[in-house]
Amino acid sequence: MNQQEPKNIIELLKQGDQKTLEKIYLENRNGFINFSKKYNIDEGDAIDIYQDAILILRENAINGRIDDLQSNISTYLFAIGKYKIFHNFRVQSKLEMTNDFDLVEENIDFDVNLYGPVLTNEQQLLKKYYDQLGDRCKSILNLFYYQGYTLDEIRTILNYSNKKVLKSQKSRCLKQLRDLVNKHYGKS
Amino acid sequence: MENHNLIDRYFENSLSPKEQKQFNNLLQNDLKFKAEFQFQKDLKQVIEVNQKEGLRETVSKIEALAQKDSRMMMLPKKWIVAASLLLITGLATWTVKSTYFPSNDAIYEEYFQLERNTVQPVVRGESINTIEYKAFAAYEARDFYKAINLFNSVQNPEDSNILFYKGLCFLAVNKPENAIALFNQLTASELNTVQTEGLSDKANWYLALAYLKNNETDKTIEQLTTIVNRPPPGYKKNEAEKILNYLK
Repeated sequence: MNQQEPKNIIELLKQGDQKTLEKIYLENRNGFINFSKKYNIDEGDAIDIYQDAILILRENAINGRIDDLQSNISTYLFAIGKYKIFHNFRVQSKLEMTNDFDLVEENIDFDVNLYGPVLTNEQQLLKKYYDQLGDRCKSILNLFYYQGYTLDEIRTILNYSNKKVLKSQKSRCLKQLRDLVNKHYGKS
Repeated sequence: MENHNLIDRYFENSLSPKEQKQFNNLLQNDLKFKAEFQFQKDLKQVIEVNQKEGLRETVSKIEALAQKDSRMMMLPKKWIVAASLLLITGLATWTVKSTYFPSNDAIYEEYFQLERNTVQPVVRGESINTIEYKAFAAYEARDFYKAINLFNSVQNPEDSNILFYKGLCFLAVNKPENAIALFNQLTASELNTVQTEGLSDKANWYLALAYLKNNETDKTIEQLTTIVNRPPPGYKKNEAEKILNYLK
């Protein structure tokens, strides 16, 4: 596989590119299900594990754990899946897994919370209004607060002419959100 | 504005030690700053949850897509395989059956041929007014029902030739039972009178075909065996052997 490819894919994953996620998901799904069958794991369980592996992959892409991944994405994804199988189902023979486990232990944060924190009531409300924001606001806030890009990086990703414009756009988005929340409290 | 920059830099993880001090200071002493920071911190968690929910949803959708795809891919594949197997088996069976195990009807169609009228030559333009002549004329004209009626009305209806050609007429109009009755008379009468050379041999052959047409396979085999066992050169002996091979 092309050396460039994993990096590129990881970058696309970080940015939340749906097509990339879909491609990775579909390319590896059947292989993983078949692999799981070797350990008598039925298709439903295999799919659950696989989905978690996909989420973990994406989380780790975002938190930068796999920026320097040497293997390709499929290998990595399978490693996560296998690791999960052996942990969840306590499969006996781990012999063939050693190499993969090294890979996993080096590059993976299994403690990622796949659901995120439990939200307070205020945060629930905030979430409701966040959903109502326009796409532009959402992508700026998402890139900045969740995906951890700096304003300089976001300026490049979203093609802003300069950082100032981006910053004032971000401020307007925050203000819009704050106004929606305040309006809610003003009413009730 | 300056303070907002500090919050941004906090989220970017790029506060210098000096800025960090300033940041902590504001957080403790500036309620407005603290509220703003808390708001953005809340927002960060909200977006995280939102993103993770979204991702789960996306993954479920992709999975649904994959299952739909695999149904579309798997089922038709299965169906195609099943269908082609059926088709191949069907075709093969049909070919084998029709070649090696043809239906009685198929054999009959292949072997049944009307006997030429050798009894009463019909000459065009000549008009002979006997019923027998008219009957054979109708037979040659393939007007078999008319021929049957006329054969019934001839002066000598029990004549072997009349019985034989009437039998052929019944075969021709798909009434093998009637034909069987007639040919049986002929083959049974063989010992008594053989009016025409070879007629009983022919009758045997057509009796076999009549049984075949009537789907009485056992009797057909019996009849054909009789033909085969005749001393050579038996009439239609080879044909009888071939049909026997199909039927047995």
